[in-house]
Formats: sequence, structure tokens, C-alpha cells
Amino acid sequence: MTHLTRLIAVLATAMAFAVPATAQDGPLRIEITEGVIEPLPFAIPNFVPESGGAGELAANITRVLSEDLTGTGLFREIPQSAHIGSVTSFSSPVQYADWKAINAQALITGGVTVQGDRVTVKFRLYDVFSGQEMGDGLQFSGTTAGWRRMAHKVADTVYSRITGEGPYFDSRVVYVSETGPKDDRRKRLAIMDYDGANTQYLTDSSSIVLAPRFSPTGDRVLYTSYETGFPKIYVLDVASVGRRTLTTPEGTMSFAPRFAPNGQTVVYSLSQGGNTDIYAMDINSGQSVQLTTAPSIETAPSFSPDGSQIVFESDRSGSQQLYVMPAGGGEPRRISFGQGRYGTPVWSPRGDLIAFTKQSKGRFHIGVMRTDGSEERLLTASFLDEGPTWSPNGRVIMFTRETQGEQGSASLYSVDISGRNLKKVRTEGAASDPSWSPLQN
Amino acid sequence: MHTGHIISGAGHLALFAWAFIGSFSLPPDDAIQVTDVALVSPEEFAALTPPVDQAPGADTAVAELPAPEAADTPPEATPQTDSTPEQAPPETAAAPAPEAAPEKPDLTTPQADVSDTTSTITAPSEDVAVVVPETPDEAPRDIPRVAPRPVVRPDRDVAVGESPQAPTAPSDTAEEVQPAEEEKAPEEATTRIVTEADDKGQGLPKSSKRPPASRPVKTAAVEPDPKPANTPEPKPAPAQTETATPRPEQKEAINDALSRALAGAADAAPDTPPAGPSGPPLTSGEKEALRVAVSACWNTGSLSTDALRTTVVVTVEMSQDGKPLAETIRMLTSSGGTGTAARQAFEAARRAIIRCGAQGFGLPVDKYDHWREIEMTFNPEKMRIK
Repeated sequence: MTHLTRLIAVLATAMAFAVPATAQDGPLRIEITEGVIEPLPFAIPNFVPESGGAGELAANITRVLSEDLTGTGLFREIPQSAHIGSVTSFSSPVQYADWKAINAQALITGGVTVQGDRVTVKFRLYDVFSGQEMGDGLQFSGTTAGWRRMAHKVADTVYSRITGEGPYFDSRVVYVSETGPKDDRRKRLAIMDYDGANTQYLTDSSSIVLAPRFSPTGDRVLYTSYETGFPKIYVLDVASVGRRTLTTPEGTMSFAPRFAPNGQTVVYSLSQGGNTDIYAMDINSGQSVQLTTAPSIETAPSFSPDGSQIVFESDRSGSQQLYVMPAGGGEPRRISFGQGRYGTPVWSPRGDLIAFTKQSKGRFHIGVMRTDGSEERLLTASFLDEGPTWSPNGRVIMFTRETQGEQGSASLYSVDISGRNLKKVRTEGAASDPSWSPLQN
Repeated sequence: MHTGHIISGAGHLALFAWAFIGSFSLPPDDAIQVTDVALVSPEEFAALTPPVDQAPGADTAVAELPAPEAADTPPEATPQTDSTPEQAPPETAAAPAPEAAPEKPDLTTPQADVSDTTSTITAPSEDVAVVVPETPDEAPRDIPRVAPRPVVRPDRDVAVGESPQAPTAPSDTAEEVQPAEEEKAPEEATTRIVTEADDKGQGLPKSSKRPPASRPVKTAAVEPDPKPANTPEPKPAPAQTETATPRPEQKEAINDALSRALAGAADAAPDTPPAGPSGPPLTSGEKEALRVAVSACWNTGSLSTDALRTTVVVTVEMSQDGKPLAETIRMLTSSGGTGTAARQAFEAARRAIIRCGAQGFGLPVDKYDHWREIEMTFNPEKMRIK
């Protein structure tokens, strides 16, 4: 029987390859359904300094641009040592064969000009194998002190042209900077570029601060402080570091604030009489409206990008789950049904997903689900992951990861929504509670 | 007589066993020699018995014996097995016509992408970007508590140049460059995304030890761990192995397959000639090889989530050496995404065709009419983020 089976298999294979395909009418048609997932290799020769003294700045801009792209996990830089061709002038024609030979699929060239304290950066992007330019060349100008932003701007343009995703490199992150031992942790608000550069501090560490949240325009930050002994919500102007308190009834605790997309309304949790509900406040008039009235704990509200709905966490069902309700209040609809506890939901700026923290089987996860609760995917798993925040383009999630033990500390991590490219974000010391700003103007 | 039957029967059984169990790959000539043995009369067979030790040589000799012309000694009734040898299966051993060897890839170095035309790049206008004058940093207002380091007002003077720069054109003075051998594909390629959540961890807390940002007051005890879901999911029944004894209908199918195979694969051509190009069309294997070749270069790793929902149909014309003509690659249709997503998806498809076709796809030249133009549908359904 073995021989017979083998014989049949051989014959079947032979016939499959020998029998001509069905009659062909028109061009040959094939369907490709599986490809490969790998970073796209690109080449980026140092930008050409086009004025005296621009050499170092050109090299620095080139490095930041490259780090932005490779940091996404979607691109891979071909080392400059492997380059065959060189770019000595921004206007030189591109010798595509030189870049094909090293398998560079994209080529970025640029030039940098410095005049006084002003710098101009221009660049071009080429599709090497197609032998054509991808979009038009662009240039950015600004102060020399803002050269990193210009590098981020160029990287954003390149990233968007190749991937089709929105930009996010020219953005910032506000977070809680932590110092000291675990039992005496000192906390203060800090702000930095998305990649950890240009860190500055917004508050001192005299009292505990929690959960900073950017406004839709990125010029203000909401946060919770225990300065008075009770948690209170403050609004801080990022440029001037001036702040004020959101007025709430005496003897109550207010926390978990977040801006509405209009930038004028703030939703938050208010705890009084042992019950916690969600309220909305007009930030100018100070008028508040109660949105939930359940005897359970409702907190961590987050608006949908169009401002029509709010997702929040509640334990009204007996365990901590996620619910969605109209922005003006109303009957909430439960969207999480998986095993474990769900919390800190955040609506994606694209509106298609909700990120959350999940605790299940003794592990903490950062996950995403559709806004109706379907297609839940867990992206991370560790001793303690929590507090997700979305990049401006809705492609990357940053969160807090804390390590175990007495020496454990909190750090910021980021992960692509595919679950790939999990990496630690560079910060000055321990950090937690990140909030990603919108794209800067 | 009885002995003759026994001998003849044993001989035939041995013949069948050899033909069936033994290798089918023996040359057909050997089978014909066996057939001759069956025609030997018992007397002749008996006469040949003494030198049985010389069996191999004897077989040959017997086969060449003259026919029993001595009619005066009519042979005893011989077993009615004359037709048996004709049922011998050696013809099944006739291997199907070997697949035409694939065309040797054209190893000639491709021409450098240098055109005859050139143009001068227009330098971008110096004043294209709108520069916002620097404003002095505002002093922090008088507030109860001042940060140790005030934050500098964000730089707002970064602006995008409005006028696009002239596209770069190749130089006509550029020398033709012969590209070197391509770099190997990166090793990190994968077709499956494994997230950290797929790993199993140990020694984990039951609740967050961090101050709860959304719940600053611990109003309730830590919830017990959810009941561990130790109930294993029912395992699917093991699939039937292919070596299972075939049922009667399966046997019939096998016999049919054998019959078709015996009839010769070459005869399996379609009854009606194709309406398109003349000559034999590409076999399934040849089309599969092309599909696999393009798949190897179709990189979806840098595509947006929208582009991964977009199916594009791309057409390309081919040169006779199996290489795609890059300038003929165009998108016919797209579905499932926006125009921007379709453009990203098309560019990824175009890169795949050009990269993996640079050395030729190894298509059979004699069937060039059939693959002169190819329509490729790039469907990323299996590559989506799930």
C-alpha cells in the first residue's frame, strides 16, 4: 500500500505540473496573497552642507532623521559604509544603479544651509527601484536651536509618503518624572520630545502629581495633584507653566481628567459620599454636568475623536469593564467581555480602536480593541504595564512599565499597534503616566 | 500435467509479485523478457531445469530459443496464460514526460537606469518658508508654585515650503553603471507577527502597585484573580492520515487516477484550443513559480493599516527574457481603501515586481505569448494586522 500511495502521489504531482493550465484568454493573471514583513531598507547619505559651518548640523539632522525612521521598526537604514554612490550636491542627478546595487529601496538626500541663527533644510525622497522621485522636494526653515524639529518634520514627511500613515515624530510627551526609593518616590511633571530629547520640568516634586493629559492643541496640560491632601485637578499652560485649579465642591476628590476634542470641556471623575461618577465641566464657566449616576465606580473617561462618545471603566457589573456612552450621558454600553479586568481606556485619534490596560491571570497587558469591543488584541505582557496613550497618528502606543522588586522602577515604553517594535523610550530617570501631544504646528 | 500447472502458476505468481512489489522503474525490456518465459513448454522448461544455477543466463537463452516447431511432439496443454504477460504493468513505469527545464535566467547585467534627457534642478526659493519672528519668551506668571525650569515657548517658525522643487532628472552625461550583485534579503522577514502578549510570564502581581491615576482612593479590596481558565479547549480530532485504507470509492478514484496517468500526461491537454495566444499555456507549476517569486519581494511591513486593507490589480508587460518593463507597470483597479492607501499599496506592489524581476522570472520563452502581459492581484488580506 505504501508503494501504491507513493505512486499515486508521484503521479498526482507529475500531472499537476504537466497538465497545462486552463485556456488563457487575455493576459496571464495571478494573485499574490502572501508577502513578507520586513523593514524597508533605505539609504540616507549625510545631508550636504551648503554653507560654511553647516557640516555638523547637517550630520546631526541626518542622524535624527534616520533614528526617527528606524525607530518605527518599519525601516532599516543601510549603513553609510555600505554606500557605493555618494551625494556631493543636492542638485546632482541620482545614480539609481548605485543604490539598487545595495538594495536600497528608498533614498533620501538633502541639503542644509545656515545663515546666522537660521537654518534651512531641504530634502528629496526617491523610489530607487522605480527610478523616480516620491513627491516633490520640500524645505523647512527655522532657528538653529530648533534643528531637531526640522529633522522630525523631514522624517514625518518621508514616513507618510512611504507608509501612508499620518506623521507623529514632531510631537512631545508629558509624563511624571520619578526619583528616589520606592517607598519615598518624588514625582514631578516633565515634558520632552517624543524621542526623549529636550526634557524640561513643569512642576517641582513637593507633592504627588498624577496623570497629566495634553489638550487637543498641545498648549495646556491637565493633571491631578495631592497638593492639598485631596486629589484636585489643575490646568497648566505649557509655555508659561502658569496653572489654575478646576473648581469642584469642597470635600470631594476629583481626578482622571481629560480634555474633550473641542478643548473647552473637561471630563473627570468626582468622588463624594463614597461614590464615584463621571462629570463634564466647561473649562471657562466652571459649570459641571453629571454624566453617570450609578452606585459603582465610574472613572477614566476618554472622548472619541469626534466628541460624540465617551469610553470609561466601571465595576457596575461586578468586575472592572469598559463601557461606551454618549458624550452627554446616557445608557452606557458594555464593550469588554474578556476574562480579567479592563481599565484606563483611551480612544485612538483615528477613532478606530480603543487602547486599554488589562489584568488577567496575574499579568498586565496593553491591548487594543475595536470600538464595539470586537477584535481584542493584547500587545504586551509584563509584571506591570498600564496607562496607554496614542501617538498623534494612532499607529503607536506609549505606556508605563514597572519592573518587579524593591529596586523596580517605572519606565516608558512604546509599541506598534501590530504588537511589533516594543521598545523603551529614553527618559531622564524613571518615568510614568505618559501623555502624547498632538502634532506640533 | 499437474506439475506443469504448479510450475506455471508459481512462475506467474512470481512474475506478478515482482512486477507489483518490485520497482516500476525497471526498463521495459526486462519485462518483455519475462513474458517470453511464459511461452516455454513444460518439456522445454524441464530441460532447462538442471542448469538452474545459471538462472540469469538461462533466462536470456530461453528467450532466444526457437519456437517449438517439432509438431510431432505437440506440447501438452499449456496453461491458458498466454495473454497474461500482456497485462504486465511495466508500462506504468513509463515516467511522465519530464517538465521542460526552466529557462536559464538571463544573467546579463541589466542596464543602468539612465536616460538621455537631463534637466537642471531649480534651486528652491530662499523665501518659500514663512518664518515667524521669534517672540521673546514670556516670563512665568506669578503663581503659587513655580517650576524649577520654565519651559521655553515652542518654536513655531518651522514652515513648509510652498513651492515644490523641480524633479531631478538623470544626466545624459552619466556613464552607464553596471549594478553589482544585489544584497541578500534581510533575515528578519516574517509572515507572522508574534507579540509580547503571546509569551507566558511568571511571578506576577495581583494588582497594580502604582498609585492609581484613575482611582486615587483605594475604595475596594483587590479583586481576586479571575478563575484560572484551566479547562483546556477540546482538541480537534486528529485528521485522517493519508495512509488510511482507502474505501471502495477511493479505490475507484485511485484506479481512475492511475488510468489517466497510464494514458499519459501529455494527452491531458484541453480538448479545445485556447482562444488567446497560440501554443501551450503555462502550466500550473510555472504560474506558481511566478507567484512565489513575486511574493518573496512583496514587503508589506511598511504599509499603513489602510493600505493593508487595499487590494490592487497591477498590470505589467514583460520582455522576452522574463524581466518586467518597469515603465509599463500600472494599477488597473483597487478596492477596499482610499486613494492614498491604494497608491501606497501599488508602490509596494511595483517594488516587488521590479526587485524580484530584475534577474528575470525564469518563464519559458516558448510560451512568451502567454506571459507577454501579466495581471497581478495583490491581496493583503492575510498580511493584515490582526
